[in-house]
Amino acid sequence: MSRKEIIAVILFILATVITIAGVVGVEAYRRRELYTVELTARAPEHGNWYPQEITVPLGEEVRILIRNIDTVSHGFALPDFEVAVPEIKAGQVAVVQFVANKSGTFPFLCTVWCAGRHMEMRGELIVE
Amino acid sequence: MSEDKLFGLIDLNFRFELTKFKLVRALCKSRWLPLLLILFNLFIFVIILLAGLFGGYSAGNYNFGIMMVWILWWVLLILMLVPGFARMWCLMCPFPIFSDWAQRGKLFEVRQGKLGGLNLKWPKRLSSMWVLNLAFLATTFFSGFFTVRPFATFILLGIIILVAFLTGLVFQKRTFCLYLCPVSGFQGLYSQFATAEVRRKDPEICKKHTPKTCFVGNEKGYGCPWLRTPFDFAKNTYCGLCLECFKTCPHDNMALNLRPPGVDLLVDTKREPRGLDEAYKAFIMLGIAIVFYLAFQGPWGVIKDMVRATTLEGYLGYITFHTVFNLLIIPGIFFLFAYLSKLFSGNKEVPLKKIFTNFSYTLVPLGLGVWIGFSLGIILPNGSYLLHILSDPFAWGWNLFGTAHFPWTPVLTHLLGYLQGATLIVFYLFSIAYGFRSSRQTYPDLPQARRGWIPMLGLLTLITTAFLWLFMG
Ligand SMILES: [Cu+2]
Repeated sequence: MSRKEIIAVILFILATVITIAGVVGVEAYRRRELYTVELTARAPEHGNWYPQEITVPLGEEVRILIRNIDTVSHGFALPDFEVAVPEIKAGQVAVVQFVANKSGTFPFLCTVWCAGRHMEMRGELIVE
Repeated sequence: MSEDKLFGLIDLNFRFELTKFKLVRALCKSRWLPLLLILFNLFIFVIILLAGLFGGYSAGNYNFGIMMVWILWWVLLILMLVPGFARMWCLMCPFPIFSDWAQRGKLFEVRQGKLGGLNLKWPKRLSSMWVLNLAFLATTFFSGFFTVRPFATFILLGIIILVAFLTGLVFQKRTFCLYLCPVSGFQGLYSQFATAEVRRKDPEICKKHTPKTCFVGNEKGYGCPWLRTPFDFAKNTYCGLCLECFKTCPHDNMALNLRPPGVDLLVDTKREPRGLDEAYKAFIMLGIAIVFYLAFQGPWGVIKDMVRATTLEGYLGYITFHTVFNLLIIPGIFFLFAYLSKLFSGNKEVPLKKIFTNFSYTLVPLGLGVWIGFSLGIILPNGSYLLHILSDPFAWGWNLFGTAHFPWTPVLTHLLGYLQGATLIVFYLFSIAYGFRSSRQTYPDLPQARRGWIPMLGLLTLITTAFLWLFMG
């Protein structure tokens, strides 16, 4: 193999394997740094918050990725920690971050009138 | 054709050779081109595939895969690459790299002798645009999902890559690109309109040159992977711009030219005849543009719901109508006008099929204009999303370039209708210009050509008026 051929093969590996490993690796590292929870938002008619119960460790800084997979907007509020996203559009992923500095069970809820059963779009955050 | 001027301005034989600049020729002859572009796009598409996979089933306005493929890539293709540089995308497309590598055993160097894989010839009966036509039409059945569900885009791209690889193992060279790739056909069709071309320079040099290294290959490069004959081919339709012929020609007799748009529409040679398959491509592209516009940019939510399969009945209705409309109704209307053309001309000898096929090429500029208009309707309102997704491609809260929170900003949308209308009129003029020339080629004398042209002019005007009404309301 000539030197140029080797360079071409290296570039190929960089573009494929290394890219995939890099993306996955960086995110895994970020998540180790920060306690990360994924939360899916859907109107109660279509499945409600998933999971509806989130458990996080006391004292840690927590990040929640709220993914709205509906075709309507939702909102997010966690009043006890003064966390709120007024509007999460369809398909958007909102990110909230806070320190879970008190233990107990705290409600979170949707703040956009998204569907007939909007009032039922609630869940609980458990800090322990 | 001694001095035939488009709009009385540009000589149709005018060419400006870009490769007369030493740097451009050196680039075309380097084996790093197009390889580096292909590798770069491979990187981009790996990220698109990852985003499609991680994005899953959520709505797509914020997904990197969907935005890159259906907003950026598609719009770039229609707005710039194809009308400007023909199959420029095929030059840098990453999908065939796996089968190329498998066939050649090398990425950069040139393999001597027979290529790997089974190297079978694609059946002659399928060597046309028919498979592409049906594959593309079938792909549009799912258009309502591609733009909303990242995973659907992942599946589509995955299938293309896999089929490209498998085809390359069984069949020779770029058989996949020529006869199977769903995005190949429309690029080929509209590349006839492109303002650039690769052609040989001096026919005498080619005549004397044996063996024809551009076709069989030599130590500098491969024989045309797209199975063209670079020493005499005359239209862009199937030229993948891979630049191998620049490398294999020992006389530097290949040229990359700028040219007046649309000149290939008049080409009808023995080796590259006009055909019903390309005629149908023109119909299908126009039909899809109409259906897409009605579904995605028109004010009728009902149609959008049908395309997005809100109910099964609605979706089946869409598929049925879409297929019948594209394969029967549009060609049927066109056939009627071809028949009228024959009646008007008073000619008895020219077969109706020839009239029908010849005139179908006049739909190429108009169809391209409609697609450009449609694409403006995608990019101007939604383009600003691109800034967001570039910074946070996987929706994990990244902010690579600091633009993750860039708000949705429509651009020039209050002028959108006028921009679409103006574009359409320009391309309508091209359709007329080439339409009359096609009529001249179809009928033996000028009076017949004039009379036979009237119904076609009427049809083109009708289509344009209908779209102007849709665009400008
Ligand atoms: Cu809600």
